[in-house]
Amino acid sequence: MISVPANQQQVSAAPSSPTLAVSGDGDRLVFAGALEILTLPEARSALKPWLKLGSARALDIGGLDSLDTPGALFLCGLRDKGAELTGVRAEHQALLDLICGLDLKPLPKVKFVPRWRQIVIQLGKGVHDARHEALDVITFLGRTASWTINALMHPACLRPASISRFVAETGINALPIIGLMAFMIAIVIGYQGVAQLRPYGGEDFTINLVAVSVLREMGVLITAIMVAGRSGSAFTAEIGVMQTRAEVDALKVMGIEPMQVLVVPRVIALVITLPLLTFFADIMGLIGGAVIAQFQLGVSPTQYLTRLPHVVDGSDLFVGLFKAPIFALFIAVVGCMHGLRVSGSAESVGRETTRAVVKSIFLVLVLDAFFSILFEKLGV
Amino acid sequence: MTARIQAPAEPILSVRGIVNRFGKQVVHDKLNLDIARGEIIGIAGGSGSGKSVLLKTLVGLHQPDAGEVRLNGKAVASIGAAEKAALIGMLFQQGALFSSLSVAQNIMLPMREHTALPDEEQERIAAMKLALAGLPADSGIKYPSALSGGMVKRAAFARALALDPKILFLDEPTSDLDPIAASGIDALIRQLNESLGITVVIVTHDLTTLLTLCGRIAVLVDRKITVDTADMLMQSDHPWIHDYFHGPRAAGVMQARKLSHGN
Repeated sequence: MISVPANQQQVSAAPSSPTLAVSGDGDRLVFAGALEILTLPEARSALKPWLKLGSARALDIGGLDSLDTPGALFLCGLRDKGAELTGVRAEHQALLDLICGLDLKPLPKVKFVPRWRQIVIQLGKGVHDARHEALDVITFLGRTASWTINALMHPACLRPASISRFVAETGINALPIIGLMAFMIAIVIGYQGVAQLRPYGGEDFTINLVAVSVLREMGVLITAIMVAGRSGSAFTAEIGVMQTRAEVDALKVMGIEPMQVLVVPRVIALVITLPLLTFFADIMGLIGGAVIAQFQLGVSPTQYLTRLPHVVDGSDLFVGLFKAPIFALFIAVVGCMHGLRVSGSAESVGRETTRAVVKSIFLVLVLDAFFSILFEKLGV
Repeated sequence: MTARIQAPAEPILSVRGIVNRFGKQVVHDKLNLDIARGEIIGIAGGSGSGKSVLLKTLVGLHQPDAGEVRLNGKAVASIGAAEKAALIGMLFQQGALFSSLSVAQNIMLPMREHTALPDEEQERIAAMKLALAGLPADSGIKYPSALSGGMVKRAAFARALALDPKILFLDEPTSDLDPIAASGIDALIRQLNESLGITVVIVTHDLTTLLTLCGRIAVLVDRKITVDTADMLMQSDHPWIHDYFHGPRAAGVMQARKLSHGN
């Protein structure tokens, strides 16, 4: 055993298994060993029958060789209930004085709200938030438009270097995955088309099905959803991390407008890339259609190519490509808006990124539905 | 305070021949250090001198390239999780409070993990730790994001004390705090050391903490460590140590220290 200066706790040789010995009878108990956080349950159960006794209760703790703060708290509780502590060592007395002298209040209880009320409250909050979110998106869209037009009118404010960097990040780096997705989707549609149309002898129309759906809808939708997940989230995270490190505030203090250097280049870059990516996705989708035609219908690639102009025309391609820059605008605006909304903590970067992705994909699908109806009415 | 602390037969922490290198750069070259039970020791050094790496090595978060750290007589790498939790308390520079848990839940987490106490008992203990760290009970249900810098440090203190550690490692406990809050933290460290007998290891740039609180100071300079009392270090003829303890900032602290000693 090591000699320890007074007022210091003893450290037992085997701290992993402290033990408490309780002895004595009647209204006099003796504690020996360790009264620590690990032996508290023993102490509590040993005292249970004893606490039921009446007055004149005494507890001898002279035999304790270690006492920690939870143990002291326990003893203070006993003392408050009228027990008398005897044989207290000097070093334990100091600890007891410290702990008993603390102004202890129980932790306040968190208010419990019944489940059904929580649901109602969340529903109300959700509606309230949705209205604000819609207003925020519209406001931010307006600000972005104003800054973009300003930048286009004063080309000195355009940042070609950062625009080209974002074009590379959001466009060129996304080519393999978007090409692969478009190809796979075309094969899936083609496969299902052949299976469903064959009983009616109309399997040849599978080519029409694949070509039209890829050009009008699937190419642009797959690309937009992929870009929202890939680049929209990156925009939020990049700007959000800058926000947590006060880099955005630093820009403002230097008299540089964050909208101009952070938002406008990203928006312009995405509006440039998304139509190009969509065109690439269309080509890959049509190649997927060619593969299905060859293996399921026995139509050779040359025949497939000569059939294509008869089943689709320029308007199908135009409908798909027309939607791309609009989707791009919304994806970039939502991504940047949520990035700038990040406040302080790192966890809010994660939260805002999730929201940005969910919201931009939602907006893409809503806009797509709107365009479907519009083009149907216009007869394009 | 300035009296030289006699190292007892077995120090609570002993470091033998620690070598840390990153690539070709040697940060620590065969460091030796003994920390006695119940002392407050400061670790000082310039930026990049490897204070944080040393602290991480001491608590076993970083495996040194050579040498051994023995904590309470055992190699630090061989100490089991529960035993380590009961032995070591650590205050991280930014608090490292879990942001998804309330302050009280942060304090109860190690208890929940390593003891079998019922919930209400844990809550009582958590409330006691909060009071010990000088926080009001109603801060227990707050989340770390709602706390000021000084309260974050105090809450992190309360969590570091959750299992009554024998040795407390503090990484910059007074950085980013106003002088009032910093003095409060200094007083808290002294109180914990005096009344609970906790050994305290402080890594700090704060000269006030180093000169008024620490019995001994370990100075990391030139990949080596020099351990002595503040008064002896002031007489050192090593240029860096001399500049460190004789700069204009140190002079102000020394004057205040003399005044408080006079009283």
